[in-house]
Amino acid sequence: MIQVSNLSFSYTRQPFISDMSFFVSSGEIFGFLGPSGAGKSTLQKVLIGMLTAYQGSAMVNGIECRHRTRRFYEDIGVDFEFSTMYEKLTAKENLQFFSSLYEKKTRPIDELLEMVGLEHDGDKRVADYSKGMKSRLNFIKALLHDPLLLCLDEPTSGLDPTNSRMMKNMILAERAKGKTILLTTHNMQDAAELCDRVAFIVNGKICALDSPHNLIMSKGAATVTYTWIDNGEHSASCPIDRLSDDEQLKRLIANNCLQSIHSSEPNLNDIFMDITGRTLL
Amino acid sequence: MRAIRSSFFQMLAYMRRDMMLFAACPAPILAGLFFRYAIPFLEAVLADYFHMPAIISPYYRLIDVLFVMITPTMFCFVSAMVSLEEADEKTAAYLFITPLGRTGYLSARLGLPAVIAFLVTVILLPVFKLTTFSSIAILLLAACGTLQGVIVALLVAALSSNRLEGMAITKLSMLTVFGAVIPFFVKDSIQYALCPLPSFWIGKAGSENTLLYMFPAFALSAIWICFLLKWYLRKM
Repeated sequence: MIQVSNLSFSYTRQPFISDMSFFVSSGEIFGFLGPSGAGKSTLQKVLIGMLTAYQGSAMVNGIECRHRTRRFYEDIGVDFEFSTMYEKLTAKENLQFFSSLYEKKTRPIDELLEMVGLEHDGDKRVADYSKGMKSRLNFIKALLHDPLLLCLDEPTSGLDPTNSRMMKNMILAERAKGKTILLTTHNMQDAAELCDRVAFIVNGKICALDSPHNLIMSKGAATVTYTWIDNGEHSASCPIDRLSDDEQLKRLIANNCLQSIHSSEPNLNDIFMDITGRTLL
Repeated sequence: MRAIRSSFFQMLAYMRRDMMLFAACPAPILAGLFFRYAIPFLEAVLADYFHMPAIISPYYRLIDVLFVMITPTMFCFVSAMVSLEEADEKTAAYLFITPLGRTGYLSARLGLPAVIAFLVTVILLPVFKLTTFSSIAILLLAACGTLQGVIVALLVAALSSNRLEGMAITKLSMLTVFGAVIPFFVKDSIQYALCPLPSFWIGKAGSENTLLYMFPAFALSAIWICFLLKWYLRKM
């Protein structure tokens, strides 16, 4: 679906994205993770044909992005982080207009509004929508023409936990239908939950690329931390794969002396910090 | 073509929600009625009052030349304001990544309004003109006036970042239209100080009744449009 080879791009004379190569298979959710200004959005702009003055190759659906034609956009849906709606028009008017731009048959507007819980707000002007409602409306706009590739930029940003869950379920449902999804985010929980593979991007370079599970496992096993009382509270830790070697833990369990016990798994943010020396925010 | 047509009708629907833009559309007809009927009446009253044979009538050709530029300028101003709002709301950036694309967007926001402005000018000028023009002159003047309208629209869209700035830039950019006035009032070579303005050559063609002067107007308009279009696209 996407094949990027030796991609370089710069806004100025200084290189911004340099020598990037990766591929994304059909039906995969691929995440770009990185701090603000790392080059995630620029990379997305290259892949959707907004920036064409790049070196190397960026192929989407078999088309080199710098040579895209109008047909290129029949199969690409983009959900920007910000609202891209006509504020003076209603949600339905907006969706009807954007539907009319595509040659192919588009999805029913009422059905899409219902999917994101906006079925009773379709006739309301977008200017009167809350930030979360605009986010949901933006998302279904990207689904209107049932594209093969979805590019989502921070899709859960500004959403409450319920709507965030609903949005993530919809993303997974689209993947189940065989859609390829590019997810740009600095929310490592979303990335770990949704993505089949993630690329860590820092300073315009891919620092690591693998499945969230493999990346987390690469740091080593989770650790178990336990506490007990013996002339004051004490605590100790042990890697989860060496618990049977911990004589002290065995003795405390045998004597029912444990005060508390919990495991702590590394998360993507820990891995990101380990690899890049930076946080995601 | 479907996307361009749809986007153009979208602009019309959007204009209906904005009274200022909606009111700008019939402005050329109101101006035409004023020029055609109020000016000759005023001329008669003033000539009678001051006991002079003619006061305004020597400048009827100038009024016709200005009318030629009013229709396209108003139409293109409206589309420039819609484009500014779309840039503000970031819908323009989104439209670029739909089957409409950049070229389609420019066709819907500049090309189609310019073609309609040209046709409306070709229809209105024979109705409201104060002096006589050949058919060729009407066509050439309407084409030049349309290009002048596109220049004003691009100036507004390229130089302003929101509607408020757009209104201010519109007032400033209207000054480029008044290059047409100079050949009627300044007869020595100092008038050529404004020769980079296409409107100057439209005025020159009108004042000297020589259609050949339209060609520098076309050439200069093309240069202005290319330059401003690059500027506008870089901004978008």
